[in-house]
Amino acid sequence: MAIRSFLILFILFFFSSLNPILSLYEDQVGLVDWHQQYLGKVKQAVFHTHKTGRKRVVVSTEENVVALLDLRQGEIFWRHVFGSNDVIDGIDIALGKYVITLSSGGSILRAWNLPDGQMVWESSLRGPKHSKSLLLVPTNLKIEKDNIVIIFSNGRLNAVSCIDGEVLWEKDFEGESLEVQQVIQPPGSNLIYVVGFASSSLFEMYQINALNGELLKHESAAFSGGFLGEVSPVFSETVVALDSTGLILLTVSFQNGMISFQQTPISNLVKDSFGPAKIIPSSVTGIFAIKMNAVTIVIRVTDENKLEVVEKTNHETSISDALPVSEGQQAFALVQRAGPEIHLRVKLAHNWDDNLLKESVKMDQHRGLVHKIYINNYIRTDKSYGFRALIVMEDHSLLLLQQGEIVWSREDGLASIIDVTTSELPVERDGVSVAKVEHNLFEWLKGHMLKLKGTLMLASPQDIAAIQSMRLKNSEKSKMTRDHNGFRKLLIVLTRAGKLFALHTGDGHIVWSYLLQSLQKSKVCQHPIGLNLYKWQVPHHHAMDENPSVLVIGKCGPSSDAPGALSFVDTYTGKELSSLSLVHSVAQVIPLPYTDSTEQRLHLLIDADKHAHLYPKTPEAISIFERELSNIYWYSVEDDNGIIKGHALRGKCTGEVADEVCFDTRELWSIVFPSESEKIIATVTRKLNEVVHTQAKVIADQEVMYKYISRNLLFVATVALKGSGEIGSVTPEESWLVAYLIDTVTGRILHRVTHHGSQGPVHAVFSENWVVYHYFNLKAHRYEMSVIEIYDQSRADNKDVWKLVLGKHNLTSPISLYSRPDVITKSQSYFFTHSVKTIAVTSTTKGITSKQLLIGTIGDQVLALDKRFLDPRRTVNPTQAEKEEGIIPLTDSLPIIPQSYVTHALRVEGLRGIITVPAKLESTTLVFAHGVDLFFTQLAPSRTYDSLTDDFNYALLLITIVALVAAISLTWTLSERKELQENWR
Amino acid sequence: MAFSCKNSSKFNGFSSCIKMVMVGTSTIMMQQRTLAMEASLCVKKSKKKGADSVTRPNSQISAAMAAVTPLLLLLLLSSAPSFSSGSRNAYNINGRVKIPQGLGTKGYALPGRMSNVKVLLNGGQNITFLRPDGYFSFHNIPAGTHLIEVSAIGYFFSPVRVDVSARNPGKVQAALTENRKGLSELVLEPLREEQYYEIREPFSIMSLLKSPMGLMVGFMLAVAFLMPKLVENMDPEEMRRAQEEMRSQGVPSLSSLLPGGARN
Repeated sequence: MAIRSFLILFILFFFSSLNPILSLYEDQVGLVDWHQQYLGKVKQAVFHTHKTGRKRVVVSTEENVVALLDLRQGEIFWRHVFGSNDVIDGIDIALGKYVITLSSGGSILRAWNLPDGQMVWESSLRGPKHSKSLLLVPTNLKIEKDNIVIIFSNGRLNAVSCIDGEVLWEKDFEGESLEVQQVIQPPGSNLIYVVGFASSSLFEMYQINALNGELLKHESAAFSGGFLGEVSPVFSETVVALDSTGLILLTVSFQNGMISFQQTPISNLVKDSFGPAKIIPSSVTGIFAIKMNAVTIVIRVTDENKLEVVEKTNHETSISDALPVSEGQQAFALVQRAGPEIHLRVKLAHNWDDNLLKESVKMDQHRGLVHKIYINNYIRTDKSYGFRALIVMEDHSLLLLQQGEIVWSREDGLASIIDVTTSELPVERDGVSVAKVEHNLFEWLKGHMLKLKGTLMLASPQDIAAIQSMRLKNSEKSKMTRDHNGFRKLLIVLTRAGKLFALHTGDGHIVWSYLLQSLQKSKVCQHPIGLNLYKWQVPHHHAMDENPSVLVIGKCGPSSDAPGALSFVDTYTGKELSSLSLVHSVAQVIPLPYTDSTEQRLHLLIDADKHAHLYPKTPEAISIFERELSNIYWYSVEDDNGIIKGHALRGKCTGEVADEVCFDTRELWSIVFPSESEKIIATVTRKLNEVVHTQAKVIADQEVMYKYISRNLLFVATVALKGSGEIGSVTPEESWLVAYLIDTVTGRILHRVTHHGSQGPVHAVFSENWVVYHYFNLKAHRYEMSVIEIYDQSRADNKDVWKLVLGKHNLTSPISLYSRPDVITKSQSYFFTHSVKTIAVTSTTKGITSKQLLIGTIGDQVLALDKRFLDPRRTVNPTQAEKEEGIIPLTDSLPIIPQSYVTHALRVEGLRGIITVPAKLESTTLVFAHGVDLFFTQLAPSRTYDSLTDDFNYALLLITIVALVAAISLTWTLSERKELQENWR
Repeated sequence: MAFSCKNSSKFNGFSSCIKMVMVGTSTIMMQQRTLAMEASLCVKKSKKKGADSVTRPNSQISAAMAAVTPLLLLLLLSSAPSFSSGSRNAYNINGRVKIPQGLGTKGYALPGRMSNVKVLLNGGQNITFLRPDGYFSFHNIPAGTHLIEVSAIGYFFSPVRVDVSARNPGKVQAALTENRKGLSELVLEPLREEQYYEIREPFSIMSLLKSPMGLMVGFMLAVAFLMPKLVENMDPEEMRRAQEEMRSQGVPSLSSLLPGGARN
């Protein structure tokens, strides 16, 4: 009895000592997680280097980010991410201390304190009609000692005070068809010129007093040829435009209020002109450029408004804005790519023939062409001017060039990730040299002694720092080989620029990057779009020597029938294996669960005409595919028409070209939602690679429930047509949300539930036999999350062993498509505080570990929420048995525990997606969240029950063993002595 | 947010300025607001002064005036009802985020620095930022019921339901959705601070003893020293019986000792 009670006590103690903490300690930040901050493709940059202080640059990007960067290292001082519909139109610096941003189609003007990024003021500008938005910060223009900002937006010209954002005056340009092209403020004057086109053949010029907005002059002149595209200001009172054919250049001068045109056919300037030209606007005095097909022509305007070609080149050329250098002189830069180098030239505006600077910089081929250049000058020690150039490359990266070298570079393409997949690293082989892990036993022991000191709180601050750096710099985690636990992988990401990156999961460094030629602008394809990434070849078993590869699918242009493009990229080397330009379009891609003898996965591409094309195009793949032809089903969603259709394959393509890999399809079923009352807003299926450990779920009273696990379940959410707008636009009575569970093979609706008074947006996640979705409840005016679990009832009677033995079970009864599956569903709803951007669920290798929902909140944080909180069997007062099973008492809202934020005190700005990948270790899952920022971490939803954590103290274990051995020998000798004494007695 | 700015002589002159405005409008509500704002005004003022002293030391009066102008504007703004109607069908929502001094002393959002706080309308349809004094506004909002959320690292804010009424513009109707508490004016305060990290417990001898190693040692010690005592206290006859029983049963397995098996 005594021993027994002892053991129980011991075990109780043992388990209570493992305190149930899922979250992080502050000193564990950065051990398994990493966070990278990006900006997106820079669309405007303004330097701030006037004073002797820090050299900085303000940038605005296509991801709606405005940020202040350190010009020395390229680090971010501060950064703000605007809303997705708050697109930045222009930025500038005013008063030397405010960053002015114009956004939302020119309707919101904000000023930010330059050093710390605090918003100082915000103004809302309105106007009569939609128009181009232009921001102008004149340097020496003051109204009553107030510096002003001139904004043209929404058909209205505003002068806004720099100090408080107050509108000082405004002037409407209501002309019916007036399209304002430029607002010009000649330096040193109090005049503003507003120039534009009206009814396509009128040139309009307004002269306005900058001090009070008074209209001084309005002139217009007709030009019969019409106008095309943009204008480029060349002098303060002269602009250059193109006529509607794009063949004649017009120099429009409006000196003294007189508008005069001067026509110069492009063919006069360039002998072999091809087709219509396009003006590339520049702010350089007397210089502009036009582009015809691939030819860029730089033209100089002389004082008599004569045009002269100064350069004609086949290379893609970027021209910077004008940079004022001493005594009214302007400098500008031209940059071109030629082979492995880029050529940078800085010239003075009035002196084309001499270069202030001419440099060639070696540039990685995979950065592509130079898209934009911004220059800034500094004074060298010998009092001459030096120039630094900020360039934006085709892959959206940002680089600073100075003295012929790249000072720093930022991979800002990673701010716009389209798709992510993972790849294993190479297996560690004998020949492969790996980073040394532990130098020797002494070092190892020393490390652990330090750790022990840390645990015992004996460590000095230096020791603590040493421990921390030792843990962070653990070379183990960034090794380039596969590890036993499967924590080290490659994240392959496809960015909007058409570049593939491989990131190491250990520390997030870029292993390789590759600019895909098939996704670059070319003659045949003007607007290529990257679509998806798939695992093409995952070698294991017999194809171990092959490298894994991924399939990149893109298409040419946004239309649905644009031809597709495929690329195959080796994930170890980062080289393109092959690429294909398809003749058909890509509407849908279905990775099939079959592989050929070289472990290439079969993929079915459905085109817009509903033909299926099989890849790879090998006879072996076709033979495998033909065997499974009748087992392949898929569905398509047409959200505009509210139709969901099921499809199957019929046979080889008939007619047209005899293509071996083309198959005809047939429509099996279709579900048409009533278009007047329901609109599809979300569809979700299970992840294809999800693993389910067991179908049976044992519940409290020794009962068994069978999960209805089908790969073909589709969750569809529809809302009332009125409720498809924004929150607040509809009353609860006229809005409802309907959730469906549909079998995509038969088209049968297995479950349907209506939430009255609710509306979208709906974010949902489907896993195993349950779906969780997030929506807005208008009645309570709160967000809600609902869970639906679906169980198979047809097998519910089979749990009796005797029935199985006697053969009275229904396992062998035929399954028919026409019979209704016997399922029951359970569901429950809870309030959830935050808006949600995306929801994901953890996935593990074998699916044994319990699941957590990963909720990307509106605050750009990722919250891990146990699935147990979304269990429809929760009740207010669970019975003892249910409590033992782990059922949590029902509450009306889901708890938000700050410690369970996966991203802890960080934000993944502009969060778009969360991807979970199982590690080899069953307890652990890898989580990658991407948006403008990237964040990666490892999660153990039920703690790491199958491995010792990093915190495990080996030194303490050793000491314990030593202490035990010592105690044993001590007691041994004691008992020996005692025995001896007994014997002597 | 409140600094010790009472000492500053500049501030005195400054506050009189504000009092003049107060007399001008002379509403009790106004006074309250002004008091609430004084701290932030002070911050703004001191910053302003610092900047000016660098650039143009001789024009302090004009600098002070320049600083006052936006503040006056702000005051006027805040004295207006939370919703001011713009054009026919669009309204503005003005409000304020206030992080009390007691919170956030050690934290992520430093007191007074609110540049990383975002205010979101209707799940991110509009996003705006805070002015230095915590005020924010949404422009061109249609009438209806809206939801405002505040995203600030380190604090938990309840979303706020805001009704913008087309019939009587200027009527304030706001309520926290978490606890259904009504707000008389749109001042948003965090419900609680959020601590993202577990606190490391300081070293104690108990935690060492409770660790598996400590337990092992403790168990061994207990067996070594207590067991003999137990055995000594046992009735010799009973012991003999137990020994016999053991011999007949063999070594008891661990699972038979546990009630119902270990479940975690």
